[in-house]
Amino acid sequence: MIVCVAVVGHQNNPLYIQSFTEADDALKLHHIVHCSLDVVDERVNNPKKYGPTLNEPFLGLLYPTENYKVYGYLTNTKVKFIVVTTGLDVRDADVRNFFRRFHAAYVDAVSNPFHVPGKKITSRTFAERVSTIVKSFGLSSAG
Amino acid sequence: MVGTSKRLPAIQRLVEIKTVAEQLHFKISTLLLHGGKVGEAVTWFRQHNGSYRRLVGTPEAVFLHWEWMSRQFLVFGELLDKSSAAITNISSLALGTADKPLSEWESRPAYYYQLAAHYLKEKRACLELALSMSETGNEMDNGAESVVPSAYVGQFARLLEQGDEFAMQSLTDEEYIRFAVVEGKRFQDSYEIIALLKKSYESYSNLKVQRMGSFCGFQIGKEYYMAGEFNNAKQLFDDIASLYRREGWVTLLWEVLGYLRECARKYGTVKELIEYSLEMAALPVSSGTDTQMKYRENGPAGPASLARREEIHKDVFGLVIGESGLSSVERNDDLKITLDNPLHLEIDLVSPLRLVLLASVAFHEQKIKPSAPTLITLSLLSQLPLTVEIDQLEVQFNQSNCNFIIMNAQRPPLAATADDKQGHRVESSSSLTLSTNKWLRLTYDVKSDQSGKLECTSVIAKMGPHFTICCRAESPASMEDLPLFKFEDRVETSPTKDPALAFTGQKAIQIEEPDPQVDLNLGASGPALVGERFIVPVTVSSVGHAVYSGELKINLVDVRGGSLFSPRETEAYSLDSHHVELVGISVPEGKDETQLDTDEINKIQKSFGLFSVPFLKCGESWSCKLEIKWHRPKPVMLYVSLGYSPYSFESTAQKVNVHKSLQIEGKTAIVISHRFMLPFRQDPLLLSRIKAVADSDLPASLPRNETCILLVSAKNSAEVPLKLLGMTLQEDNEDTGRPCSVRHEGEDLLEPALLVPGEEFKKIFTVISEDDSSKLTIGTACVTWTRDSGSKAASVLTKQTLPDVNVESPPLVVSLDCPPYAILGDPFTYLVKIRNQTQLLQEVKFSLADAQSFVLSGSHNDTVFVLPKSEHILSYKLVPLASGVQQMPRFTVTAVRYSAGFQPSIAAYTIFIFPSKPHFKGAAVGTGG
Repeated sequence: MIVCVAVVGHQNNPLYIQSFTEADDALKLHHIVHCSLDVVDERVNNPKKYGPTLNEPFLGLLYPTENYKVYGYLTNTKVKFIVVTTGLDVRDADVRNFFRRFHAAYVDAVSNPFHVPGKKITSRTFAERVSTIVKSFGLSSAG
Repeated sequence: MVGTSKRLPAIQRLVEIKTVAEQLHFKISTLLLHGGKVGEAVTWFRQHNGSYRRLVGTPEAVFLHWEWMSRQFLVFGELLDKSSAAITNISSLALGTADKPLSEWESRPAYYYQLAAHYLKEKRACLELALSMSETGNEMDNGAESVVPSAYVGQFARLLEQGDEFAMQSLTDEEYIRFAVVEGKRFQDSYEIIALLKKSYESYSNLKVQRMGSFCGFQIGKEYYMAGEFNNAKQLFDDIASLYRREGWVTLLWEVLGYLRECARKYGTVKELIEYSLEMAALPVSSGTDTQMKYRENGPAGPASLARREEIHKDVFGLVIGESGLSSVERNDDLKITLDNPLHLEIDLVSPLRLVLLASVAFHEQKIKPSAPTLITLSLLSQLPLTVEIDQLEVQFNQSNCNFIIMNAQRPPLAATADDKQGHRVESSSSLTLSTNKWLRLTYDVKSDQSGKLECTSVIAKMGPHFTICCRAESPASMEDLPLFKFEDRVETSPTKDPALAFTGQKAIQIEEPDPQVDLNLGASGPALVGERFIVPVTVSSVGHAVYSGELKINLVDVRGGSLFSPRETEAYSLDSHHVELVGISVPEGKDETQLDTDEINKIQKSFGLFSVPFLKCGESWSCKLEIKWHRPKPVMLYVSLGYSPYSFESTAQKVNVHKSLQIEGKTAIVISHRFMLPFRQDPLLLSRIKAVADSDLPASLPRNETCILLVSAKNSAEVPLKLLGMTLQEDNEDTGRPCSVRHEGEDLLEPALLVPGEEFKKIFTVISEDDSSKLTIGTACVTWTRDSGSKAASVLTKQTLPDVNVESPPLVVSLDCPPYAILGDPFTYLVKIRNQTQLLQEVKFSLADAQSFVLSGSHNDTVFVLPKSEHILSYKLVPLASGVQQMPRFTVTAVRYSAGFQPSIAAYTIFIFPSKPHFKGAAVGTGG
């Protein structure tokens, strides 16, 4: 289950961050997303260590915390997507699938001529689409 | 664990199992790490952790579980820490398996310390719960004190004293929990947590993993805050806040600022309290999707929302304006801004408080004349959530007499400011109200009398009686985006209404110098001549300004750039490496002042001069002469600048500068050339000429013991007439025993010869080489000349060293002998003499070509032998057939021994034929050659 989704810009600034939990631990999730940027940085700066990742935007599991798992995705324009999941059995394929759909939604949102690149994404349509994608996470494989 | 005895009650049994597991795990991990198998160790730890983390146990003993978990992480972290020194290359290890890959963080101790701290926090929370539940903790102290670890690992027992005997008695679970709670109370978990997080924090800092480090720092800060150590907490929070500010994580920054604000409040520092509060109030948290959330771990900041920002804003302004009604501040008496305790905030270009107040200042022009007014636009922007009323604005410039104050017309003037700001212009504005994200634009005019740069340094806003914000002025052209807000999706507005000004506006303006009212004249005319002291008259005449402490600066600069000095050509002028040099500055004599001033000459260098100008009243003038000497023909730029102050002698007085420049050509006046001539119709065979035909660089060769003529000519290559005073040939001193004699042919000049441009002056010298030396030094040609302008001009000596010549003895000398002229029809004798000067027999072939103007008798071709040291004469009889200048038959001689052909020059064959015998008056005409 996905608990937090974030889009992070070039200066490691949050462009979009949304948590999907009932519990009020959004701040903690923000911290986790922020910390995970260190791992993304390390992977991007040492590409050799992490095998043949040429043109592979999916960064995989960034780091496990006590309850959460953090996955990363780096677009060609060096915008980072971070997803925080909870629950035991999260499969890589599901996460990849999620990122693909999320990327499409992001591309549509920033293609809006009224969107200024580098600014926060405030589109309501994007938010709705993201929450749909989050809700359907894992369903396809489970069903 | 199957088959363990059921002797122990449930809780203690679990404790025992875990203790045993811990022991085993410790040993396995140590062994694995010792063997360098980090990957396996981490996998093993993960397995260990996975199998026990869910064995929480009964609710009243949960804290024991968390304590145990924390210990697992701590111990493994320490083991890794110790072994990581031995394992240099963790990252290259194959980590994990395909489906469960290990991240590199799991091989770093910091990760484990951080989690150990996390579990310890859980333990603390559970222990507190347990403590509040067990009201009876104190009663059982006596019983608990005697509980000791028993002989078996993980078991505890009560120690009973029965006289000298000790006996172990097993515990019930209830007793054990009581014991554990009491034990737990003894430890200060906060410090343990801080210590763990610090280890992690330091480790992350060493790895330069700043975000995780910051998270640890944040947790440490929170612990310190809860422990009441606000100073430690504040330091950590300050560091972290700067990272969050830089990366624009507003929600995290909000939380940290909340803590910082509380620290400042607890510490009683009003300034910081207000700074943090203002920053919080100006943070962009109202927009965005995820900011309306409620935090479970709500810090002192409260929820990040617009309402909360407004609340903070009201709090702060209540405090600074001095109104009471600050519920949270009231309890501390120190937190007041009064007359004795005024508050002054500085906002510079990197301050986070730029959000609170941003001042952009733009002059409407880039350059003005002194005392001319120009417009300045002052734009203020604030991101505070509520409208702010400013009582008074003070605009400060680097020239303090330009400062002015803008009063808010709606507020009564503040009495406190009236006396200390006296003398400054006071403007009044109908409204000084700052709305959120809306520029407040004010335009006023400014003028300055002082030339130079006029720059707006800061804008000071006064709100309330004792609160001021000094905001550094920024140019709209180079203004950076607001931090944090640059990521917000908001309407961007420009600080000035005129968009062009918003792009190019500057906070500084250049105020020009007053126009000079002094004329500077350079009076040189025409090109300079190399060698002379060229005089450039400089006239300073005042037409409106008096000249105080005037100073002339003179500069000579090569027109083509570069210096006047070229190292390659130094050998010719080793003493004097500058091609053009400033020789002196002379002041017309007869004035008393100039005598005083001459010792004020500061400097004259080769290409630079500094000269002081005496005091000149309005209307007076002064002149001096620059003497410049050229060593090489070369154009130079002469720059003369006069700096003076128009009003007083003070060194601080403003200087006015006048510049003049003049390009002066340097030209060669006299070109000296020379030529050697042998006796007419007599040609020696010079062997050196035969051998090196191609090499034209060879020095001239002269035959030995022959009289040669040296022709030195001096040509006027200047554009003005020159007077030539004399020409001599100087011997070089170093060569004392000269093997040749140079005789002057003719007298020295009695009176100077006038040379118009292009004209040549020639002088003849005779050179006879007498010695056996093969080299002959001729000497230096010296020409003394002067301009033909006035009698005053000093004479100039131009020297040119003539090249050395070779001397050799010719083996053969051929001379033609014929009368100086002939008469049509009259036969004459034409003799060719071949003289052999060697000790050898010379075989000589000769031939004579026919000439159409002559009838000839004699042999045309033959070979003759010339005996040593003798002369062979070939004799021909010629009868001229035509009159005028005619060519005699051409004669060719070939010396077989030297295989050298020889043909005399055309001039030697030329003869004039008179149609009839001429009748000369006076002396008889000689017939010999």
